[in-house]
Amino acid sequence: MALVRTLGLRAATLLGVLLTVLVLLVVTLGASGFSDRILTAVINEEIRGLRTSQATQSRNPDALEAALEVRRAELIEFYGLDRAWWQRMPDTVFRVITLDLGEARTLRSSEGSRKVSDIVLERLPNTALLLTSSLIITAVIGMAVGVKMATRVGSKIDRTVSFGAAISFALPAWWTGILLILLLSFTFNILPSGGMYSTPPPEGGFSRFFDLLKHALLPIITLVLVSVGPYLYSVRTMTLNVAQEDHVLVARAKGLREGLVMRQHILRVAAPPIVTGLILSLVGSLSGSILVETVFNWNGMGRLYFEAVAGTPDEGLIVALTFIFTLMYVVARFVLEVLYLLLDPRVRYA
Amino acid sequence: MNIKFSDALKVIVSSHIGKAGLMLLAFLVGVSIWVLATYPLDFGTKEWSNPTVWADNPKAVPPKWVNLLPGTDRVAHSVLESDTPDDVRTAGWVKAETYLMPVSHDFDDFPTFLSFTMNDVKFQGRPPLITLSLARPDGTTVKLLQHVPSGARDGETAPIIRYEQTPFRLLLSADQTVRAALADFHNEQYGTDYNERDLRGLGDQAAFGVPIPGDEAAFESLRGDYEFVVDITFASTEDSLGSVKAVVGGDVFGGMGTDSQGRDLAVGLLFGFPVALFIGLLASTLTTTIGTSLGVVSGYMGGWVDTAIQRLSDVVANVPLLPILIFMVIVLGSNLFLIILVLVAFSWPGLTILIRSMVLQLRSGQLIEATQALGASKTRIMIRHIFPQTAPFVFAQMIFFTPAAILAEAGLSFLGLGDPSIPTWGQILEQGFRTGAVYVGYWWWVLPPGLLIVLTAMAFVLIALAIEPVLNPRLRTMR
Repeated sequence: MALVRTLGLRAATLLGVLLTVLVLLVVTLGASGFSDRILTAVINEEIRGLRTSQATQSRNPDALEAALEVRRAELIEFYGLDRAWWQRMPDTVFRVITLDLGEARTLRSSEGSRKVSDIVLERLPNTALLLTSSLIITAVIGMAVGVKMATRVGSKIDRTVSFGAAISFALPAWWTGILLILLLSFTFNILPSGGMYSTPPPEGGFSRFFDLLKHALLPIITLVLVSVGPYLYSVRTMTLNVAQEDHVLVARAKGLREGLVMRQHILRVAAPPIVTGLILSLVGSLSGSILVETVFNWNGMGRLYFEAVAGTPDEGLIVALTFIFTLMYVVARFVLEVLYLLLDPRVRYA
Repeated sequence: MNIKFSDALKVIVSSHIGKAGLMLLAFLVGVSIWVLATYPLDFGTKEWSNPTVWADNPKAVPPKWVNLLPGTDRVAHSVLESDTPDDVRTAGWVKAETYLMPVSHDFDDFPTFLSFTMNDVKFQGRPPLITLSLARPDGTTVKLLQHVPSGARDGETAPIIRYEQTPFRLLLSADQTVRAALADFHNEQYGTDYNERDLRGLGDQAAFGVPIPGDEAAFESLRGDYEFVVDITFASTEDSLGSVKAVVGGDVFGGMGTDSQGRDLAVGLLFGFPVALFIGLLASTLTTTIGTSLGVVSGYMGGWVDTAIQRLSDVVANVPLLPILIFMVIVLGSNLFLIILVLVAFSWPGLTILIRSMVLQLRSGQLIEATQALGASKTRIMIRHIFPQTAPFVFAQMIFFTPAAILAEAGLSFLGLGDPSIPTWGQILEQGFRTGAVYVGYWWWVLPPGLLIVLTAMAFVLIALAIEPVLNPRLRTMR
């Protein structure tokens, strides 16, 4: 019962996050007048287009102007500009929450669909590919090296790796990407500098997959480089904290083998925070993906967000994408909560 | 729990990484103070984004010291200036002045451009005649330019001043009459058959080279000592000239090279020092202040205040920072203080949760119980008795958050959303990336700003790592 209650509370909090973010977005858009500005610009643009196309057919300029005014009134009503933003916005919030994300103004999916949900579904797997592979690599390296360091605190390896972890923390993901491009792709010409496939993409399943892998390598290395340092350092510290506990001393005093002590008495206890750290680094990579995908021209969610933001901002798309990002973030967080519960009996039976 | 500041400093200095961090920080602070003392505060709008300031610099060239690398021999950048004539001759009313500006050219390549600037020409009635010529190492002299400033306009009275606000500036290598003069010179000296059009784009080569025989105009570098000679004939002895300047555009520039607009990267990078520290320290101070006060209040007051603060920090802690930051900047405009504000608004919860759990322990301690018994008010207990005990942790968190704020601003700048009135390292990098510097190998434009961001972040991370044993004695005993 406690389990359900704990999970329910977390789910409620995370839903609260989603709602808060949405309200924040919408209020900012409305109160700053940004929404009105953008919508007015859209309507003006449409009217101008209509005027040029009609001017050749219509002989009577007065009739044309009158028709345009009627059309303008229609558009104003359609976009809700005749109402104040706080009357117009609840609809937007409701639509986005029900995942009815609307249509993008200029961006298209590769099939030409302008529905935001189509574009997002097309880009999502690409980001997932980068994030999951870098997460797995980070987890393996971080746990292996972090635990090793914890057993040899103060040694030369420990100090060197600690220093490396500090560098890794200080490295901006995008600059690391640029550095790798400059080095591996520009100077030595080993790996492609960006994109997802060569042009033209190779035929056949296997060579196509290999091509994708080659293009994914640099972004994955970048993401791993910037996230592995802080992670392995936190694994080291957490393992170390547990290793100093009395129960470990007792286990050693009983004469248990060191490997057993490590697995059963140290790592088992340190597992929940270690997993927490991993998901937190995934969450960090989620933000990092906006930058890394921009650097590597990777067709994922991050770059989509950048495209929506650059140039003329597309209000609906920005709201939808920020919501999707928050959603991804919140889902990751919830997975973390469940994992934590599975690993830590104290929370389960509290 | 009570740790003295001097003790903490001792622990930091006792470790290598702590020492390295403090030294880095001292360096950063030193440079920042120097920059603040010497740069104008409106440097961003007045100089960095003002193309005329950088007009006489070569565009997108590497730093000077690349010539130290074997096999590299790029033309040096020479700025020749003079404000006192080397020779003055007077005859009756007439005065003639000569300015000499020697430059040595010892390269296989040619200069990237040539420009001539003068200012403050003062005359009484008739304007002076100004002649610019170039004396070449082989004893020949090319007359490049003859110029007469416009005379008195209706109603203008002596003395008449020309080129006072905007100096007279001519890009010699792109000027038609200069090319014609160079063509005539070569035809006379070397028997070539050039006309002005043949030398299009070859002005610098014609000035600093000898022709290679052939159908098309081509030149070979003529090494040796050159001299720009400016002769001015004034119509009155009272007339004068402010200063003259000739620039031989190089293929290298300064300590850090230039960007594609000719901006001296060293100057921009230096300005980034105080900006980065300012962003980091302001954001982290505000964040820790908010985080700590909410944490102390939440932990000590308990009840509905505690629940409210905890729910709020739970929610805020789960908001993805970068997307929100991008969104806010797009909607509300790019302003450094807005960026810092948003950073702070979404970064405090971690500390609040941490401090609350500490306060919960402290609250049940005897010290607090005794103070309560003495009748101290809640505010007094929180400020005078609880906060001091959490101070070391707060300080460590502040140091730890500083690089995070610097990195966040740099990331935002890299997306082109930085505050345009204040140049930062992130923005310099963004311009480099946007203009394709990465793909043509302009390493001097891309590497240093990123390296400086890393160094600045490193300084704080290293200090934070060294502080860890102060807060967590378990780690201390292990050393």
